[in-house]
Amino acid sequence: MPDWKPEILRRLAPLKLAPTREAEIAEEVTQHLDDRYRELVASGQSEHEAFRTTLDELKGEDLLARSLRRLERSFDREPIAPGKDAGNFFSGILQDVRFALRILRKTPLITSIALLSLALGIGANTAIFSLIDAVMLRMLPVQNPEQLVQIGLKPRMGQNANTTVTNPIWEQVRDHQDVFSGVFAWSPRTFDLANGGEENDINGIYASGDYFNVLGVRPAAGRLLAASDDIRSCPGVAVLSYGFWQDHYAGAQSVIGSFIRVNGHEFPIIGIAQRGFTGTDVGTPFGVAIPICAAAIFGRSLDDRTAWFLSMMGRLKPGANIAQAQARMKVLSAPLFGAVVPQDSSANAQDFFRRNTFALTPASTGSSSVDGVRDQYSQPLQILMFVVGLVLLIACANIASLLLARSAARQKEIALRLSLGASRARLIRQVLTESIVLSGAGAILGVFFARWGSALLVRFVSTDQSQVFLDLKMDGPVLAFTIGIVVLCGVLFGILPAFRATRVSASSAMKEGQSQGAGGRSQSALARWIVAVQVALSLILLVGTGLFVRTFANLMTVDPGFDRNNVLLIDTNVHSAGLPEPALVPLYGQMLAKLQALPGVVSASQCLLYPLDSGDEWTSEVSVPGYQPPSGVVPGVYSNWVTPGYFSTMRTPLVEGRVFAARDSANSTPVVVINQLLANTYFRGQDPIGKHIHLGGQEIGEKPLEIIGVVQNAKRDSLDQDFLSTAYVPLAQIHSIREDTTFEIRTAMTPGALIPAVRDAMASINKSASLQFSTLKQQADDSVIQEHLMAVLSGFFGGLALLLTAIGLYGVMAYVVTQRTHEIGIRMALGAEQTSILCLVMREAAIVLAVGIAAGLLGSVWITRMVRQFLFGITPNDSSTLALAITVLVAVALVASYVPARRAMRVDPMVALKYE
Amino acid sequence: MDNTTHEFEWKRGSAELLILSLIEARPRHGYEISKLIEQRSEGTVRFYVASLYPLLYRLETRGWIQGRWVEKSGQRRRRYYRLTRQGRKVLASQRRGWHVFVEAINRITEVENA
Repeated sequence: MPDWKPEILRRLAPLKLAPTREAEIAEEVTQHLDDRYRELVASGQSEHEAFRTTLDELKGEDLLARSLRRLERSFDREPIAPGKDAGNFFSGILQDVRFALRILRKTPLITSIALLSLALGIGANTAIFSLIDAVMLRMLPVQNPEQLVQIGLKPRMGQNANTTVTNPIWEQVRDHQDVFSGVFAWSPRTFDLANGGEENDINGIYASGDYFNVLGVRPAAGRLLAASDDIRSCPGVAVLSYGFWQDHYAGAQSVIGSFIRVNGHEFPIIGIAQRGFTGTDVGTPFGVAIPICAAAIFGRSLDDRTAWFLSMMGRLKPGANIAQAQARMKVLSAPLFGAVVPQDSSANAQDFFRRNTFALTPASTGSSSVDGVRDQYSQPLQILMFVVGLVLLIACANIASLLLARSAARQKEIALRLSLGASRARLIRQVLTESIVLSGAGAILGVFFARWGSALLVRFVSTDQSQVFLDLKMDGPVLAFTIGIVVLCGVLFGILPAFRATRVSASSAMKEGQSQGAGGRSQSALARWIVAVQVALSLILLVGTGLFVRTFANLMTVDPGFDRNNVLLIDTNVHSAGLPEPALVPLYGQMLAKLQALPGVVSASQCLLYPLDSGDEWTSEVSVPGYQPPSGVVPGVYSNWVTPGYFSTMRTPLVEGRVFAARDSANSTPVVVINQLLANTYFRGQDPIGKHIHLGGQEIGEKPLEIIGVVQNAKRDSLDQDFLSTAYVPLAQIHSIREDTTFEIRTAMTPGALIPAVRDAMASINKSASLQFSTLKQQADDSVIQEHLMAVLSGFFGGLALLLTAIGLYGVMAYVVTQRTHEIGIRMALGAEQTSILCLVMREAAIVLAVGIAAGLLGSVWITRMVRQFLFGITPNDSSTLALAITVLVAVALVASYVPARRAMRVDPMVALKYE
Repeated sequence: MDNTTHEFEWKRGSAELLILSLIEARPRHGYEISKLIEQRSEGTVRFYVASLYPLLYRLETRGWIQGRWVEKSGQRRRRYYRLTRQGRKVLASQRRGWHVFVEAINRITEVENA
């Protein structure tokens, strides 16, 4: 039979019909011509004659086209189904999207599983990225933020990088620098707005006079601080942030000129800072700013050369770069530091101080203060970003498997399109559009999940002591990130199925039964590779989960050197009492006596710094007769003053000697209790009892202190920190007492139940003392919040990864079993045992699992090293954690593949063979 | 050539009517339609491929007939055309018009011949 199609198609070509329409007409006309030809041959014409006659009936070249032209015009536009290239690769993309939506609706189960995994995966990525954006990337809302640099000290041996300076150092820099167009200093503080009773704490700052000016922040109302507001013995003024103004005063203009009570002192409000500006410390927006000079009002000496509390920033001159500024600041370091050496320190310490140099760091995105949100969470966030990235990869792998399975089912459709003239590139575009539409839809769900999730995370890391506020808006970078993820995911899980699906020959796949053939085999090989990758990634996540969970468990069970249960902490500040310092000691004594007498109180005591208070610290230079420190090191210890009942209230065991008693008074021999670490470091096996040490600092005085006891080491700032050498001195022998202190009560009941009684007792002595309550248990929990967060989140994502991998493995094994049903049937017909069939299938799963685990082990050994610093009491390569992770993974994987394997075992040979 | 012109004139007025009439009783495919026209007119009226199918498609676009692919076992699928409800009305009206026309022609030609 002659092939009429080319003749027909040539005649139809000028019409530029839709491929489907063109094919339909060609088919119909071909049949007509076939019939005609057959008839002519039957009537006795030669094949050649019949061919000529039949072709003649097509009537020249253009009749068909002419007759059809007007009629078929409606088919001219681009078809929804991809056909021939329409010139521009991107033309008709909308139709592709419409078609993709239709295809996705047709397979609701696959689509919803994919959507759910994507929503979780993309949502988690967007959530973590929006936190990274808020904590690390976002520019300060000030003029030319890129010109800002933070001025800190160069880190030196035995010291961490220091970002704070003393007020005398700041004044030196302010008055003598010639590097910057402007410099400013500030110090984040907690301000108490209450008028006695329970504290009403807000975040505030001490700010230098040029703070707002150098930043280029404008007033929203009134005026901002000026240099003239920040001079010694100033009366003090207050500037409010826009948010604080709205929250506390509903944005009333009348607030300008009125007074605000900060730490018991009234300051006139002079203005409101511009909207959106919340200071330079990420995560702790200020509400009230008062000038640095006003710190003197609260008893801080502005000439104290040992109080490191101010942060500094400078604005580079236009055209200047940070390297030039750094070089100049290095030159200025020696004269500036030399002018403000702490005179009370030892010669060794003074020399150490003189050799400080300034170090500049870019600060366009805000400052990086020690213990600030950025400092604490930058690295955990990066780890989490990595974790959620892996989870998303696993989710993508799952979806790729699902789509691969579906592409097998779609081979006929694809083959039809190819035969209708669609190019492969065009079809790949169509299939990729489907994936990207899928991932886009997942992202839309994910963004809701992200908004909720990131807000939840911020709440999780906020404690009573340090509130974290982050503006988690969907800004440009976050949006770009999410869109990038959508495209990446769509391509990632779409590319393999797209290439695989379009690699069919037009004719073979059209026939029934072909899809189960060779193509299916390589399909499942590919799917097995994908699952092996999932297994590897899951193992990495599970090992991480194991490390973080065990770190947290270690922290919760570590002996901190005190008993954290049933201790109520009462942060007390009598600043508003307006009492002179000598009157404080008897006042504290009365308060303590009153507390001890309360029913339900086992014991009570008072101290300057309670354990796990990450706020203040008191370090003293120590000198011990007979102890020679390594050269260049100024030996320092952590100090604390306490009342006699402190160690029994904390249940810190006494190792030897005695603890303080009432007889250790202001007039008796100065005494000290040290911890084991101090004893071991400075006395090296000698008995320290009765020996003397000298602590620097004006609070303690010049006399050497007699060691009367050694107590067990106790955690200081947080549970994961190593023990620190600590010296305790009795309150009675302290020369300079601050107006803030802490009482701690060991209770016989739930600590919280005692709060009303404590409040009444304190008010009966001094109404204006402000109080803040917490428990030692709460402090302990807050101090490991980072580790808790990592344990919870890595646990969640590890579990999610495990679930996704199990689904992936189940899917692949089920596919393998379906494909091999015939083979299994034959084996069983030939007498194979059910158990050997089970082994046959399980062996497939075991191979995938083994490959994945081997790769995962290599990966986790390499990757877990990055988290070493977040671990406590465990090493990154902890073998029991590895073993546990592998066991969990293998167990879940075996269950996931046992279900399809059992189905294979129950294959009825008769049914399986008949099926074929 | 003469013959062709004659054929063309004829079809122009009657083609639609012929097709609609042929599928009135049952659906037929294109080749069958062209065959029937040729047979019943004893070769006087013939439709060629290049004009038959455009005509079928036009009738289909107008909604008078409807084509449908039908597969029969052992055969290639074929497109069968059947009359729609609207097509049935059109056929009835065209038939009436045709009878009126033919009678009128007859009357005229008979008078001439008489």
